[in-house]
Amino acid sequence: MAAFQREHVLNVLVPRADGTVRILGIESTSHTFGVGVLEHYDDVVRFLANVSSQYKPSRGGIHPRESFEHHVNNAYKVLNEALNRSGLKLRDVDAFAVAVGPGLGPCIRVGASLARFLSAYFNKPVIPVNHAVAHIEIGKLVSGIHDPVIVYVSGGNTMVVVQKTHRYRVIGETLDIPLGNLLDTFARETGIAPPYTIDGNHAVDVCSEWGSEYLPLPYTVKGCDLSFSGLLTAALRAAKSALPDKRRLGDVCRSLRETAFNMLVEVTERTLMLTNKEGILLVGGVAANKVLREKLESVANYYGVKYYGTSPEIAGDNGLMIAYVGLLQYLYGVRTTPENIVVRQRFRLDEDAYPWLP
Amino acid sequence: MVALTRPVPVSRGAEAEIYLVDFFGVRAVVKKRVSKPYRNPLFDKVFIQSRTRVEARVLSELYNAGLRVPAVLLVDDENGVIVMEYIKGIRASQVFDSLDGNALVSIAGEVGRFAAQMHNMKIYHGDFTLANLLLSDHGVVVIDFGLAGYSTDIEEYAIDLHLMSRSAYVADPEKAKSFTEHVLEAYSGSYKGNAEEVIKRMREISIRGRYVDRELRKTVMRERYIE
Repeated sequence: MAAFQREHVLNVLVPRADGTVRILGIESTSHTFGVGVLEHYDDVVRFLANVSSQYKPSRGGIHPRESFEHHVNNAYKVLNEALNRSGLKLRDVDAFAVAVGPGLGPCIRVGASLARFLSAYFNKPVIPVNHAVAHIEIGKLVSGIHDPVIVYVSGGNTMVVVQKTHRYRVIGETLDIPLGNLLDTFARETGIAPPYTIDGNHAVDVCSEWGSEYLPLPYTVKGCDLSFSGLLTAALRAAKSALPDKRRLGDVCRSLRETAFNMLVEVTERTLMLTNKEGILLVGGVAANKVLREKLESVANYYGVKYYGTSPEIAGDNGLMIAYVGLLQYLYGVRTTPENIVVRQRFRLDEDAYPWLP
Repeated sequence: MVALTRPVPVSRGAEAEIYLVDFFGVRAVVKKRVSKPYRNPLFDKVFIQSRTRVEARVLSELYNAGLRVPAVLLVDDENGVIVMEYIKGIRASQVFDSLDGNALVSIAGEVGRFAAQMHNMKIYHGDFTLANLLLSDHGVVVIDFGLAGYSTDIEEYAIDLHLMSRSAYVADPEKAKSFTEHVLEAYSGSYKGNAEEVIKRMREISIRGRYVDRELRKTVMRERYIE
């Protein structure tokens, strides 16, 4: 895993700030509790710390209450560790950014409560951040690609997005379950997970190595939108008849992955042709998947455009990306007080306008 | 295969390359689906073959029924090639925002009737947008049946209507409402099944994406449940 650069030159247009701005970002929308700290001076952003703790279910999927408990129990530790690494004290921070959605209500509430408290106690502004926007913006910053076709895939989201007139426009998205959820649910139901990832590889990828054949499975692209639920049902049925034959189960895994990724690729290609953007940017938790990265990279090569997949350290949920969008909003004067921090479980990324977008 | 006079694509889509050729003295369009290096070879083959076959079949059935689509001249499903009639016209998406009221109503009428007649034949288009409507001297011609298919599920029909209304909204939010209303009016007049049901499903689809406003979704789902 290549470590990413600690210093980046801002590649979006923001009003100039006087002196140094330091932002602390809190992420808690799903299974990860994370705190990130960064500072901004002139046009440089410096990452100071990025600490996370992940809730890992012992069986089944994410239980919102258990994840909530994990966040409550680890918040103090993670916050302290992030402050230690950054070398800052809480009173040095200029504003607290927090992810207010989209995500699981009980989990978001932990971050929101902490942010409200810090803001009130230190009498500093607090900034509500959209979790999806944060994934995209940190990807844009690190990749240096200013205006790409954005492929955002995670456990809770699957969408292909472009920027237009200060807003994100969703060109295509899943109509039912997201890609990460498809892979997780399949792995769970067939008994190859948890754990969902082994040495950074998803259980479905590990299982795919056992097989070699390709079996046709339902492929559902509706215009630019995707539907994975029929694919999941068909793959589970195929897996049931394959078990306990390891090789045949491997074939199912391989075909499931191939079909699902090809669907996403088709929508990405369509968007690329439609919008003529300069590159493809892959962000979100599933961006850590090696096979998907390779596929999208060769799509980019095929069309002669740039490609960037965010590295696992910032592809997954983390506090740093929240701090970064917090910084952009802070520079544009989007700051508020604790009583205005509201949990927004269904906060869509195309709901609000963002002044720094092209 | 016929020797193509000039194998340089005039346009390249995500899925296929388009060539303009002289086909036995007739101006024709060749649509060639191309293999992609990033797809599993078997997937690639099955995918290209099935899409080509369905597209050719749908086109010829609609053409034979008298609907305005390009005539199919030759099909080579092994190689993913369809040769079809060349249609002179302009894409509706390019001129939508400059259309006057009368033109808008007449186009909407044609679009609505086309959709209804197509759906009456259990065929859906799959990418029914303004960009796939050619405004020709002989009226509206519908092209690109690359995502088309056969289904009796009103869901697919509703998606066609939804895509058309969404693409009108993208092209010109001001004109979209009246355009969509006229499309649906013409559709209701020609669709043999229960048009109201399809239109209702279409409204449902538009609120289906992830994290759509909860209150709106609740209201629609509640109405559905009560019925």
